[in-house]
Amino acid sequence: MTSLQLPIHTDRLALRYFEKSDLDHVVAYYALPEVQRYLDWKARDRVEVKAALDAMCQQRRLNRPGDTLTLAVCRQSDDNMIGQVALRWTDATASQAELRFVFNPLFRRQGYATEAVKAAIDIGFQHFNFHRIFARCGADNQRSARLMKAIGMRLEAHYREHALFNGEWDEELHFAVLDREWKRLAKVREVPHRMVA
Amino acid sequence: MELVPDYPVETERLQLRPFCRGDVEAVYAYRCREDVTRWLIDAPMTREAVAEIIQARVGQSSWTRNGDSIFLAVDNRADKATVGEVSLIQRSAEHRQAEIGYIFHPDVQGQGLATEAGRALMSLAFDNAGVHRVYARCHAENEASRRVMERLGMRREAHFREHVLVKGRWDEELVYALLEDEWRLQSAR
Repeated sequence: MTSLQLPIHTDRLALRYFEKSDLDHVVAYYALPEVQRYLDWKARDRVEVKAALDAMCQQRRLNRPGDTLTLAVCRQSDDNMIGQVALRWTDATASQAELRFVFNPLFRRQGYATEAVKAAIDIGFQHFNFHRIFARCGADNQRSARLMKAIGMRLEAHYREHALFNGEWDEELHFAVLDREWKRLAKVREVPHRMVA
Repeated sequence: MELVPDYPVETERLQLRPFCRGDVEAVYAYRCREDVTRWLIDAPMTREAVAEIIQARVGQSSWTRNGDSIFLAVDNRADKATVGEVSLIQRSAEHRQAEIGYIFHPDVQGQGLATEAGRALMSLAFDNAGVHRVYARCHAENEASRRVMERLGMRREAHFREHVLVKGRWDEELVYALLEDEWRLQSAR
């Protein structure tokens, strides 16, 4: 696939590759207990976050199934790092990708996460031509679940005690959206408010 | 997880037993039918293909190692006719997860046989093997299979749309599940 033209700009944000020099910004949110409790990759201190960041710096291409593209999300006005979004190509024949995201709690309640996640889904459908994009979160991760519901992803699964996670039975939600559903949602978004009113 | 059942496993009307090579004709009788395979990952099979899967399933009748699967033939106890097959697959030993499956000849549909066999599998999984969660999957339009899962007291956990291509077409899939606590509550009733 042709490479992405980065950075990608949304209204207030810029999406770009991670650099090793981003360590301070990533440590600021990635190692927080309230963030870590929902993540598969355990990184509780600077050394462990550096290992995670090193991996993220390498995730720049979707050349084959299993590959991940991870992008840093920065605020345009002051270059503060808001968090990260990622797409993992899971299935070539059925053209499926998994969306992942992590955001710094410091910048909550301003719609940045929603803006960044929408941009990531746009990239998945428009640039990589995926057929379906799905995402998973813990059932107790209300913020992520609310975000996905709000942008029009459908709740497809609610697994109960399907696996042990951190020594406890896990409860997991799956959300998904198909390319044609996303296009329909985008059209609704394009209609100016005054026309709807 | 370990599970070495005493065969045959008997229910009111059925017996579940390991496959043997003589089962080819009976299995071919439903595995060759389009109305059976339209809901399966497998396409309609030739006699040779059926012989091959039976060859592979002979001996797959216990869990002695992680990842082992159990495939069983299901006979009518009254006339000893083989009417279908069931599976009990270890999906994760670490998380104590298993999946059940069932395929029956359309001629015996509507008698609750799949539900009866399914209950026997649940009992093996929860009461004998210490499974924590059993799940089953079917195509979203496979009404008969969906009803079996509901009769087994399973909850719908997922409805996936176009998540995979099966035989060149977009699939739509339901996942139902039952936890060990839920099974015990049911059994106590």
